[in-house]
Amino acid sequence: MTGFDELEAQTPELVRPYVITKGRGLPDEEQLSLITLVTATADHQQRPTRLSPEEQSLLDLCSAGYLSVAEIAGHTQLPLGVVKILLAALTEGGYLVTRPPVQRASLADREILEEVLNGLRAKFG
Amino acid sequence: MTDYIQNPVLWALLVAVLVSVALIVRQRRAARTLRQEFADLRARHTELENGYAKSVEAAQERADEATKTVLKSAMRTLQGLAAEQQLIVSRLQTKYGESVILQDLLEIDHTNSQFGRRAQSIAVLCDGWLGRQRDVASIYDVVRSAQGRVRHYRRVEILSQVDFGITSRAVEPVALALAELLDNATSYSSPDTVVEINIRTVPKGICIVVDDAGVGMNDEERARADKLLTSERVSGVSALGNPPQFGFAVIGVLSERFGFEVSVDSSSPYGGVRAVLLLPHDLLTNAPEQKEPAPVVPAAAPQGRGGPEGAVPMTTTSDGLPKRRRKRPMAIVPGTASGGSGPARSGAETAAIMGAFQRGTRSGRATQTDPAEQSSSTRGASSEGHEFS
Repeated sequence: MTGFDELEAQTPELVRPYVITKGRGLPDEEQLSLITLVTATADHQQRPTRLSPEEQSLLDLCSAGYLSVAEIAGHTQLPLGVVKILLAALTEGGYLVTRPPVQRASLADREILEEVLNGLRAKFG
Repeated sequence: MTDYIQNPVLWALLVAVLVSVALIVRQRRAARTLRQEFADLRARHTELENGYAKSVEAAQERADEATKTVLKSAMRTLQGLAAEQQLIVSRLQTKYGESVILQDLLEIDHTNSQFGRRAQSIAVLCDGWLGRQRDVASIYDVVRSAQGRVRHYRRVEILSQVDFGITSRAVEPVALALAELLDNATSYSSPDTVVEINIRTVPKGICIVVDDAGVGMNDEERARADKLLTSERVSGVSALGNPPQFGFAVIGVLSERFGFEVSVDSSSPYGGVRAVLLLPHDLLTNAPEQKEPAPVVPAAAPQGRGGPEGAVPMTTTSDGLPKRRRKRPMAIVPGTASGGSGPARSGAETAAIMGAFQRGTRSGRATQTDPAEQSSSTRGASSEGHEFS
């Protein structure tokens, strides 16, 4: 049984990933990072039939709410980069909206804090 | 009277006549033998000529056969290598999916697919191996597979989809034949034009229509293509010309062997060639379930997914075309799916469970004493086994 499974796994996929991406290039890291949140736009009525099955399934995945790019890629069997390319294309087509990840709060300068501390100590200490 | 008898002239004449008669007879006989000999020689000549032609033909056939055998096994090796490389590239694509080298990996994949297709085409002409049998695939996927095997795949556009699949036996040949059509379409049209593919349902089955905006074919080319597609079958690679033209020869062989039809006798609305590949009903089947979501889809998906549900019930699109119905719901959160089957067990736990199961079945067999029931159950089991094997 395991032999059969192995054999099954040995067959290369029929549709190659570069056809799925239609030869488009990888999007910028700023545009779509692993933790960028993605969701479908509200108006599903506009969804055309011209989308490929992969794009359709991505849209379905994203239609419930915000999902991160990494999560979406985990749901599909496609390489991450391919998912990114598809998501970028769908975003460009207006089917998806992305929300950049929440910026990490920038740390206050340690020297300033020390100076403030020193000042306070000098005044009250 | 006696005068005449004594006349020496008369005698001389008589002698002359006799001599000439004798001569004529002799000549005749000689001529006859000569004629006979001539006829014999001619018969011999034709016999020899036939024998020569036959032996030349046989020699040529032998040579063709030998070439075919050599090419067949050589191509088999190349096809195997191409498939192997494709697998390696696939693995790399998954492994380095996040990195920028993915772009290059996709390029390599593309080149490799073209290389595999070339080897396949030669193999087809040499009655060789077509590659590993595929699973049932949707027509759309087969078309895209074909698209991926030509150099200018970016110029190919698929304009319509149908909800049909192709039987596993025909997936690879149809993809290869279509790839050859697309190769012709893209290489004989200018690089800034688009090659359109339309998939249409017709009473006889399904038509895949390939339109290019190239220069089209002249009458001579059209006649040659028609001949290759309908009647004349190319065997071996010796009749392909220089530079060899594989396309129609390969398509002809494939369509005959797998029972679909290809015609190129109409011209496309864009001025180029319109090629039509007709798939009869016996090569068609229901569209397979979509592959991608399969591993994620749990049985308990429906609950808690209001969002996508709202989008799905639409059965026609804004264009009035029937919409592809998703056959399996898609899970949004995989966590609930894996949660259903419980947390992962340790090896010892699994062993304990399996042991309990085995003990249970053994004790069940031991207590089951009713012979009729037992025999019926074993019969059932054995027939099941038969069915399985």
